[in-house]
Amino acid sequence: MEMKGDSHKHKTVEPDESESLADIFAFLALLVRYPDISFFDNEFLDTLEILLTRLNLEKSCLKISIWRNSVEDPLLDAQLEYTRLFINAVPHVIAPPYASVYQDGDFSLQGKTTEKIRNFYRQHGFDVVVSTQPADHIQFELEFLSYIYRQGQFDVGDYFLSTFFVPWFEKFLQKISEELRHPLYRVSLQLITYFVKEEQ
Amino acid sequence: MAMNLTRRNLLKTASLAAASVPLSKVVAKAETGIAKVPLIPPGSFKKTKTVTGGVCEMCFWRCQLVGKVRDNRLIKLEGNPKSIDNGLNLCARGNSGIKLVYDPDRLKYPMKNIGKRGAPKWKKISWEEALDTCAAKLQATIDKYGPKGIGVWYHGASAHYPTAYFEYLGVPNMYEPAFYQCRGQTAMAMMQTLGFVPNEDVDMANSKAMLLVGCHLGENIHLSHVKNFLKGLENGSKLVVVDPRFSASAAKAHIWVKIKPGTDTAFLLGLMNYMLGKGCYNKSFVDKHCLGLNKLKTHVAEWSIEKTAKECDIPGKQIVEVAELLCEHAPHVAVHPGRHAAWYGNDFQRVRANACLTALLGAIDCPGGIVQIKRMSTGHVHWPKVEHEEDPEDMALAEMEEKYPFRPPGTPPELMRETMVTGKPYPIKSMVIWGTNSIKTMPNQEETMKALANMDFIMVTDVSPTDITMWADILLPEACYLERYDHIEKGTQWNQSDKPQQFVAARMPLVEPMFERKDSVWMINELARRMGHEKDIPVKNQEEFVDHMLKEADLSIAKLRKLDGIYIQEGESPYLKKGDEPEFGTDSGKIELYSEAMDDEDFPPLPTYTRTEEPPKGYARMIYGRSPVHTFNRTANNAWLSREVPENPLWLNDESAKKMGIKDGDRVSLENQAGKRSAGSTVVKVTPGIRKDCVFIAHGFGTFNPAMTVGYNKGIDDNSLNTKINREGETGISGMRINFVRIIKNGKTINIPG
Repeated sequence: MEMKGDSHKHKTVEPDESESLADIFAFLALLVRYPDISFFDNEFLDTLEILLTRLNLEKSCLKISIWRNSVEDPLLDAQLEYTRLFINAVPHVIAPPYASVYQDGDFSLQGKTTEKIRNFYRQHGFDVVVSTQPADHIQFELEFLSYIYRQGQFDVGDYFLSTFFVPWFEKFLQKISEELRHPLYRVSLQLITYFVKEEQ
Repeated sequence: MAMNLTRRNLLKTASLAAASVPLSKVVAKAETGIAKVPLIPPGSFKKTKTVTGGVCEMCFWRCQLVGKVRDNRLIKLEGNPKSIDNGLNLCARGNSGIKLVYDPDRLKYPMKNIGKRGAPKWKKISWEEALDTCAAKLQATIDKYGPKGIGVWYHGASAHYPTAYFEYLGVPNMYEPAFYQCRGQTAMAMMQTLGFVPNEDVDMANSKAMLLVGCHLGENIHLSHVKNFLKGLENGSKLVVVDPRFSASAAKAHIWVKIKPGTDTAFLLGLMNYMLGKGCYNKSFVDKHCLGLNKLKTHVAEWSIEKTAKECDIPGKQIVEVAELLCEHAPHVAVHPGRHAAWYGNDFQRVRANACLTALLGAIDCPGGIVQIKRMSTGHVHWPKVEHEEDPEDMALAEMEEKYPFRPPGTPPELMRETMVTGKPYPIKSMVIWGTNSIKTMPNQEETMKALANMDFIMVTDVSPTDITMWADILLPEACYLERYDHIEKGTQWNQSDKPQQFVAARMPLVEPMFERKDSVWMINELARRMGHEKDIPVKNQEEFVDHMLKEADLSIAKLRKLDGIYIQEGESPYLKKGDEPEFGTDSGKIELYSEAMDDEDFPPLPTYTRTEEPPKGYARMIYGRSPVHTFNRTANNAWLSREVPENPLWLNDESAKKMGIKDGDRVSLENQAGKRSAGSTVVKVTPGIRKDCVFIAHGFGTFNPAMTVGYNKGIDDNSLNTKINREGETGISGMRINFVRIIKNGKTINIPG
């Protein structure tokens, strides 16, 4: 596979920007990870609200704030919605968050795309450490981007986004759109879209 | 947000805006799933390995296979080159196993239903919580009602260890549809008559003639069995197919007997009467090995050619032609015992007639006949025997009610279901459902739902979110057949006239299970620990479970791995050698044409025909069968198979269709005699290849759990229309081909002319 990131000299990036973008992508990865008590707490949701405010996404921030105040247990509420959207549900799982499901033509996990994505991680010195999850889970792809940006490899990140991430993410968004009623996931996916969108 | 920003600028602006947000503290809390690793050169993982030890479970024939695995990802399945059974071949389903492993709809984590049974809302929970809950709930049932308060419905190799545990607990009622809705009568009636269960060990490859009554080989593709069948045809064996429908087998037949549904027993009695009258049966065999010939002769005497022809609605000369063909080639005649026998509710008698006909031809343990194949033996894993306050054998419902003396192992399903509803003779309040979609297997679905609603607790283990999983309180995700150890497959070379060989293959995983799927040994041991039975656990894990069974054959997983998954040794021919006498495991040691045991239990001691109900005017009998690329509902969600055969066309007689104004390809649904309508619809296949008094549809379609996104609502669920059943007294098994349908097209009900 020819890699743009390998064949071109990396653009110089200011260290601060690299760090903060890396943090953003790590945070985005948490938004699409199964919510558990290890990270999903008030501080996490407070941080989400602050981030939305700083990005001038006040309406989204308000949605999150109203949701947090309207449910008894935001963690449980988020877990149920995560299960419904991404794991198993009745009437059916809404949108499995794996690239191969959208890219390989036969609605399957562990497809050719999974292999390509995993190889890409490895060629840049990373790998999935949780062997029971396919490598093309949205969470892992965002974590990978976080690591890459932290290393200042913007070209590699951009190449990964345009070649691997955005093409399936768009289809995934389409599939999920009608069912995307929950404020947390509506805002989370809006936020991811914001950071991965193509040049305008 | 300014729209003219480039991505770089946007990111820059955004990141600077975010720089003041305390993200790093939050993101540091959770460990990432990605980590830095030493640089791996491109191409390092390109190498594809061949992993041996797979035993297929896409159906129950269990072909031996290998997997092509790259970077822990299963890429392709192939027949194990070492196999002397299926060989290099796999069927469409076998090939599509990959689509089961990687089906995104599959169950991934333990779940708790925080909604309602039948309309669940799932919460992902930990194994800890799931098992704690199951143990506490099952224990509560035992404390209140005794072990008899628990019922088990199960299927498949992965249920062996769990059912052994529930036996140890003293649970008296377990039901397996593989017996009660499928092979039960065939096994029990053959046992009662011949003293052994031939299963489908029929030497078709070396036969001179074959008789299939209602079997449609080629539509049910069991690889080595179909090879066996086709070899017979290739060798010039004359095939007789008795079927109301021009099935795949009928299409290969020399004689197709287009019989009226429900009259097969009469046909078999007519054949026997002709043979006995003409004296063209195998006299030396019958004199030596059979009991009750004269009684049988008198009993079948009423079945003249004329009477049989009239009853079965077939030409008399065809009966003569079949009888003479079979006699001419006796004993080298493959009279197939059949598999699924639960047709009309008088099926034990039909299988007995089939066995008696086989005996009259002497077609046993000789080339072309039913053969007692000699397989290697392996061991079993047992939990220790413990004394229970109430003996589970005495508490079994059928035993208590003194019913169904010739039943297969376990409790007849409807008997258990009635008890779940009424609480009589005692309450059953917790259900364990292991790998069986009982909503689809048991007729009269409303009753099943009513029974489930009445439970205090329901634990379901499965691979996929099948319909029954919607009724679980706790739902446990199981590793599938390509991800676990369990079944030991034993057999011989597929053609009995080839050099005799025996093989043993154990199911071994080709890939690791993903997500939090577990095998049944792990699940049951964890449950047993929580229920205070740790000291009695017989094996530590699935590997030990398999090794324990293999030990009897002086084998182990390690040895099998070295042998590419299959151990092969010299075998023994099933054909009797000159001077050898066959052995029959009946009470008398002989083939019992007349059965004392049946007489003692007040059942007809000689195979007896009972008329089945006729379709009411305007309706046709709904008969069902299989689609060659599906295993009932089990493969409904398989993307590849569903693409090949997405639904189950309704076979309708061409002349009837013309009168009804229905054309080939029209979309219709069905309504049964009780006014029950099918939820889904299907296309019509207009054909002269089916009688006017019946319609045909393949079983297993019309999935109603939308969680099965591929199979959901495709085709018609025939079982939803089986609202009427006829339970036979011998076994407690219900016949299901006694439901009648008419057609609905564009909302209009159309009668089917008889």
